[in-house]
Amino acid sequence: MTQKKYERKAVVKILEDRCKGCWYCVNYCPTKVLVISDKMNAKGYHPPEFREDKEHVCIACHLCELYCPDFAIFVEELK
Amino acid sequence: MSIFEDMRNKQEELLRTERLPHVWCPGCGIGIVLNAFLRAVIRRKIDPEKLVVVSGIGCTGRTAGYVNVDSFHTTHGRAIPFATGIKFARPDLNVVVFSGDGDLFAIGGNHFVNAARRNHDLLIIAVNNFTYGMTGGQHGPTTPTGAYTTTTPYGNPDRPFNIPHLAISLGVPFVARWTTYHVNQLQNSIYKALGMKGFRLVEIISQCPTVYGRRNSMKSPLSMMEYFQKNSIIKPNASFEEMELTYNGKIVVGEFRVRTNIPTYEERFDDVIRRAQNEN
Repeated sequence: MTQKKYERKAVVKILEDRCKGCWYCVNYCPTKVLVISDKMNAKGYHPPEFREDKEHVCIACHLCELYCPDFAIFVEELK
Repeated sequence: MSIFEDMRNKQEELLRTERLPHVWCPGCGIGIVLNAFLRAVIRRKIDPEKLVVVSGIGCTGRTAGYVNVDSFHTTHGRAIPFATGIKFARPDLNVVVFSGDGDLFAIGGNHFVNAARRNHDLLIIAVNNFTYGMTGGQHGPTTPTGAYTTTTPYGNPDRPFNIPHLAISLGVPFVARWTTYHVNQLQNSIYKALGMKGFRLVEIISQCPTVYGRRNSMKSPLSMMEYFQKNSIIKPNASFEEMELTYNGKIVVGEFRVRTNIPTYEERFDDVIRRAQNEN
């Protein structure tokens, strides 16, 4: 099965010090551009990391912003 | 700048960012509700100077400390009486009560019932997480029958409040229930409620993975969210029996009642004053 190619539309910026590691964004991202990272923030949580490759591109749906309970995500659209 | 980016930036202005990260646990649903509420306020183009957020005591009661508008952190259970007073003194303000189930329906139950009966012009955002989160997970008036909490280790024998049913029976013009999984629908309901008059109730079923989920085999935030995702049914014309919450059962969500022609208490009170003045 070949996955449909999406156009790259945005970059996800994460304010790591606000993140508490619930990973709703990682789970609900429709194109799976966020992954759990190995690094730790000041409170000891693992914030998500923005990862883009050929199959996974951000389509600027802004769903991660809606699900984030900690106001830690900004989706910056590309011009 | 797209409308989404613009909204996110405006949302940041409505938060006291110097106090973030907030006190709520990882994966707590109150953050999602606050997120949706602030977006609805921005979409309604409400002037932050004309908005008051009143909250009581408990986890949800902490909301008043994070919004960058005039806010009021009141005594336990008395969020609605304080809000009523604000509305009487300044009828031009949009008064929003943002509080939890323990605050609104346990100690503040009588205030809720009587304010709903009189149809005060208030928007009530009731975050129902089934338990008393801040004090360590005791059972409350919204804990489903059979649920395990610190004070009911063998299952809860009580029946929970059927909050939409209670509100509808009191003639409330707007009654909606969503879960934190329905982020867009929740935002739209709050948006709709902000544009209406009268006592408006939006109940949000929220997750408490730390004290409720842990004792009821939903240990991670995501497993509680999955429970909401799999078990919620959107049914706006649901019967009263269907609205009742059961332990690990289905959650019926939707906008159960929308009426626009019910006079508010403030309007009827002005009418009484006018008649009294005409007599003299």
